[in-house]
Amino acid sequence: METILSINQLSKRYGRIQAVNKLSLEVVKGQVFGILGPNGSGKSTTLGMILDLIRPDSGSFTWFGEHPSKESRKRIGAVIETPNFFPYLSARKNLEIVAKVKDYDNSDIERVLRTTGLYDRKNDKFKTYSFGMKQRLAVASALLNNPDILILDEPTNGLDPQGIAHIRELILQVASEGITIILASHLLDEVQKICNYVAVLNKGNILFSGEVHDVLAISDCIELASADNAALKAAIEAHPAFHSIIESDGILLVVFSEDVRPGAISEYLHQKNISLSHLTERKRTLEQHFLELLKDNES
Amino acid sequence: MKLLSIELKKILPYKTFWIIIGLYFLFLALGIIMAEYIVNAMVDDVNKRLPIPLPHAVLFYFPDIWQNLTFFASIRFVLIFPAIIVIILITNEFTNKTVRQNIVNGMSRSEFIYSKLQVVFMLALIITVILMLVMLTLGLIHSDSQSLSLMLNGFSFVIGFFIQMLTYLCFAFFVAFMLRNTGLAIALFTLYTIIIEPVIYFLLRAPFIWENTVYTYLPVNSVIRIVEYPSIPALKKLMNFQLQDQVTLLACAVPMIYAAVMIGIVYLTFNKRDL
Ligand SMILES: Nc1ncnc2c1ncn2[C@@H]1O[C@H](COP(=O)(O)OP(=O)(O)O)[C@@H](O)[C@H]1O
Ligand SMILES: [Mg+2]
Repeated sequence: METILSINQLSKRYGRIQAVNKLSLEVVKGQVFGILGPNGSGKSTTLGMILDLIRPDSGSFTWFGEHPSKESRKRIGAVIETPNFFPYLSARKNLEIVAKVKDYDNSDIERVLRTTGLYDRKNDKFKTYSFGMKQRLAVASALLNNPDILILDEPTNGLDPQGIAHIRELILQVASEGITIILASHLLDEVQKICNYVAVLNKGNILFSGEVHDVLAISDCIELASADNAALKAAIEAHPAFHSIIESDGILLVVFSEDVRPGAISEYLHQKNISLSHLTERKRTLEQHFLELLKDNES
Repeated sequence: MKLLSIELKKILPYKTFWIIIGLYFLFLALGIIMAEYIVNAMVDDVNKRLPIPLPHAVLFYFPDIWQNLTFFASIRFVLIFPAIIVIILITNEFTNKTVRQNIVNGMSRSEFIYSKLQVVFMLALIITVILMLVMLTLGLIHSDSQSLSLMLNGFSFVIGFFIQMLTYLCFAFFVAFMLRNTGLAIALFTLYTIIIEPVIYFLLRAPFIWENTVYTYLPVNSVIRIVEYPSIPALKKLMNFQLQDQVTLLACAVPMIYAAVMIGIVYLTFNKRDL
């Protein structure tokens, strides 16, 4: 597989905060690579460094197997944190500047304006655009002349549901064309819907990385309650497949590290002379799962 | 040429640019129109105390027009306008964050700096050429055959004016890159030019040994000093010290060294800082 991006031990510190800590990862051609992490976990700092906006304290990276340069950046389409354009210029004029910087002619501008649904407003000034349109212009500029890799930093942040759906559709369409994508997001379901590979980031460290369906595999949880929750808790914690427990409103939410059926639990507790007043199986939300991934790492 | 054409795409449709350029030439025109009145009002005032009155000054004939108009075009209050344009054009890139967009899309940091230097150079050149054409026209209107033969004598003032414009705009370029904030940069730059340096002047003047030495080497004054005095024969007679009659290489060298150092600092810091 052809390596598009290779990051080696990249670090960046802001005062007391280690924003990115010896981060290494590799993105190969055709991957849709998610960088998943809560706000402040170092996603934007990482992307800023590989785009030459932020100077790393240490570490290195290569683009397309080469030392990074302006020429490698011309092959990248990037949507960074906020859409950055000249407010007094139209979408078209702004894209003409982007094309010029990238050494392209203007022949692809119409296409990306159509793809992002901005064609009808192409001659209006950027400052008259809604936030959603501004974000779509950022996507349009990133798509110009079909880059080898598309980088998206929280592309749906701050959009309304319709805008979110539109952007996600666009990304999926680009992905289906075989263009490599890096998507930074704090939204688990976004990464899960779009990406096939993921690195989970927290406090500048990669906690896990791998195929999305491995890393983000969902196990269910079981709700339990009994007259004596303390005894119940002790018994559950002794279970060989026990993983974690959360208590709320007199109900214990239990997660097992492997698939354990409610019937088997009932049986197990019965043997320990605990009778249950409540037992249901519950699908955990993806967010709960994500939070647990992060929590596990802290303990 | 690629970098300059990108800059033109950014600048030409920008209304604020044209407004300030317009204001600049308006002030310049007013200054040129008023200059003769002001000087002659001074002459009249002096004449009240003189037994033999001095003749009225005529500013716009060759070769003196070169020195006179470049002098009026380079007083602090006028010079500040193009500097503000440069500050706005550069800090806009930081406030709109378009500098990030440029770098991400494949401009190198050095190219970004270089593109702004090209803007500075072109602006200085265009202003100088326009002023030169104005001087040429006015001079031809006001000159008789005798002064026409001296036409090119004071041309060094045109080159001096270009150096003034270029170096002063480089100072503005420096401040814009360092502060990155439009309001702050304009406020500090204007304050320094119009108040801080003149105040330093008065402080340094107090012990007379310092007079015209240290102050000469302060950045903005070193620019102003390239064309330090107008050429008005009546006033020349009145004052007993020698007024300049040409632009010296030494006078140009001081601000150019400042500008070179500032450009160097911008290159060094901009390549290291986060955007
Ligand atoms: N310019 C900066 N100055 C100081 N701290 C910063 C700066 N940029 C980011 N940080 C800090 O670095 C950490 C990582 O930030 P960021 O990369 O923006 O996270 P994310 O994009 O994952 O939300 C955060 O704690 C943030 O506060
Ligand atoms: Mg971010």
